[in-house]
Parts: sequence; C-alpha cells; structure tokens
Amino acid sequence: MDAFALTAEALREPWRLWTGHLVHFGWEHALANAVALAVPWILAPPGDRRRLALALLVLPPLLSLLLLPSLGASEYRGASGLACALWALVGLRLAGRQGSLPLGLLMLGGLLLKLGAETVLGRGFLLHPEGWRTLPAAHLWGALLGFASALPPRPRPHPA
Amino acid sequence: MPCRPLLAATLALMAAVGCNTPETHVRRSSLMDYLYPKEKAAPVPNPAGARLKLPLKLGIAFVPGGNASWRVQNLLAPGQEKQLLDVVKQSFKDRPWISEIKPVPSAYLRSSGGFENMDQVARMYGVDVMALVSVDQVQNTDPRWYSFTYLSIVGAYVLPGDANDTNTLIDAAVYDVASHTFLLRAPGQSQVKGSSTWANREKQLREHSAKGLQLAMADLAKNLDAEVGAFKAEVARGERKDVDVVDRQGVSLRQSGGRNFGGSTSWIEVLGALVLLGFALRFRRA
Repeated sequence: MDAFALTAEALREPWRLWTGHLVHFGWEHALANAVALAVPWILAPPGDRRRLALALLVLPPLLSLLLLPSLGASEYRGASGLACALWALVGLRLAGRQGSLPLGLLMLGGLLLKLGAETVLGRGFLLHPEGWRTLPAAHLWGALLGFASALPPRPRPHPA
Repeated sequence: MPCRPLLAATLALMAAVGCNTPETHVRRSSLMDYLYPKEKAAPVPNPAGARLKLPLKLGIAFVPGGNASWRVQNLLAPGQEKQLLDVVKQSFKDRPWISEIKPVPSAYLRSSGGFENMDQVARMYGVDVMALVSVDQVQNTDPRWYSFTYLSIVGAYVLPGDANDTNTLIDAAVYDVASHTFLLRAPGQSQVKGSSTWANREKQLREHSAKGLQLAMADLAKNLDAEVGAFKAEVARGERKDVDVVDRQGVSLRQSGGRNFGGSTSWIEVLGALVLLGFALRFRRA
C-alpha cells in the first residue's frame, strides 16, 4: 500500500491527510485533476488568491477526515475533491461580485451538474477507470467545504 | 615417570564426572494434534467456503501442548500468556479490517479438542475468525571446556560454563469459524543465546524461554500483517476460490477486485472546464 495514499492509517500517519490528495492512479488521472484545479485558480478574483491558497492548505485534512469512514480497508487518491472545493469557493465568490455573476453561476451550475450526475449514477460521470472506483462522496464533501470557505469572515467589532 | 598415567587417569575421571553433558529441553504444542486428533478423520471444510464480513472479530489463542494447556504445563506464567497475545493485539489494533481482537486463555482449549472445541470457544467470545498459535521451543545447553571446574563447588556458582541457546518457532494459523476454512498462516521466530553458571542455569533457561517467546511473537505480528496483505490480494485476484471478503459497504472483494477509490474528473468535464475558461478569459479581455 502506498505510503502517501489516504487510508485508515492516516490516524497514525497524519501526512496522509494531505498527501492523499496529491497522489494519483496514473498520469491521466493526475492531469485531469490538475486542469480541474487550475481553472478556478485562474478565474479567481486576484484579491481571493490568498483565500484560495489558505483553502488548499486547510481543506485537505478536513476533507480526508470526512472521507475516512467511507474508505474501509481501501485507499483514496486524487485531487478532484479539492478541485470541487475550489470550484464551489470561486464560483460563489464570483457570483457575489458585480460583473462576474454569469461566470460564477456557470461555474456553480457545472459543479452542481457533476454532483447531481454522480449522485444519480452512484459513480463517476462518463468515467470507467481500471483498478479503482470514483468516490462521489469526495466531490460532495469537497463542494460543501468550498461553499463554507467562500462565506465572508465574521466582521470584527470595532473598538469604541 | 610412574606418576604420568595416574595424573592422566585423574584428569579423565574429573572430566567425566565434572563436565556436564549436553541437555535439550523441548516445549511443543501442535496445531495438527489439536485440530485433527489422530484417532479421528479430518473433518471436511464447508464446500461453500468462507465469507468474511469486514471488520472482523478475531480471537487468538495458544493451542494446548501434549495433554494439557500451556498454562497447566507451566510453560507460560499465568500473566505471560496474555502479555504475549497482547503483542499481536497491539500490532493490529489500528487495522481497519479488524474491529476487535480477543485473547482467549489457553485454559479454555482442550487438548485434542478439534474444531468442536474451537467452535465452543469462538461462540463464547463471539469471534468470526480464530488465530491458533502453536509453539516449538528448543533449548540446548552445551558445557564449555572449563565446566569441569563445577567439581570445585565454587566453580558451579562463579564460572559460566554452560552455553545456552533457545530457539523458538511460533506459527499462527487463522481459521474461519463458521466454515472451518483455513485462511492463512504466518510464522515468527527468535534465537536467544547466553552463558550461565551451573547454579544459574535453570533460571536463565526460564528467562530465555520467556524472552524467546516475546521476540517470536513480535516477529509473528510483523509477518502476520504481511500475510494478511498477501491474502487480501489473492482473494481480490480470485485465486482463493474458497474465500470471499465483503467490505463495510457490502462490496465483495472478489467482485470489486480490491479496487481502491479515487477522486476523478472525466475528460468531458475537463473539456467543459477549459471551454468555460476560454470564454471567461475572452470575456474579460473584451
């Protein structure tokens, strides 16, 4: 078993909580996920890049912990859960800005279409990989975490 | 020199009387004697094979040696048996495919008890699979050339004239309780060497026996982990026709081929994302 994949061993080997999203089942798998990550990064408003970078650091372990109960004795690899988080985050931020509402809605629509199709099919949309199965829960949890990250921070009370 | 034959005879007598002769202690318990007593025909396992539902409840026990349990034979101190079984328990406590490991006292296993006795114990502890541990420990004591000094009494208490070797081989065989199907086996071994005086020999042999068992159990735990991995791979490849493993989601390992999970993006989705990116960039420039 790979030392970096996300497995139940992550409770003893915590680096897996991050690295599970970096390792993949092959270059095709990695390339598709890299594109899915790059698109929201490019489209993000310049002022939101720091938020995105912070999300890329904080969301992987949270997502991993949410996925652990579904894994059983298997392992998980792939960045698409994170990609869904970024699509949700950037889509919501763009939809909330004047002038980028259509783009934000398009991103959110695309994301919801993917999540809906996977929920109905119970597997990856138009994807039948050899040796592993798509875990739709990763995309669903990723999107929810992304939506939560897009919420504006609570305003600090001004000193009187 | 008339004294010379006398001196030689005295030395030969001292050597014969004073030197120890090599001694061997054997402690053995046999899985075959326990599960397949000689007077009975070996029972046939259930032809339907084993269906293991993860996570498993595993019982682990030392099989009785000879005509008594290990504890009764005074081979293991009462507290030591649990200590040894805990070595395996600690190694496997975080494994996702195990929900519980229950050390079963060997006092509950009858000599030549067979599968009937194993079933009783498994029911009592509520376990799905049983790991039956058999032990083969051989202790050799070889006298060193200066062990004739034991004749002087003082030498027996001061000079370490005994070379003691303890070789331990432990074997764990794992059986499915419901179908009596043999699942896998793993070995563990150790070797402990030392020297002792005549007076301290028995004490050192006892200590080496305990240490040898401890080391062999640690080795067994390591090997068992590797064997479980190999076993799962065999089941996933369909090489074990008599066994299937069902995961927490109810998916058969034989059917899924042991496939893992991945977060995926299909090429259609990638294409859609790139088209969206192209439009967005063009829209921004405009």
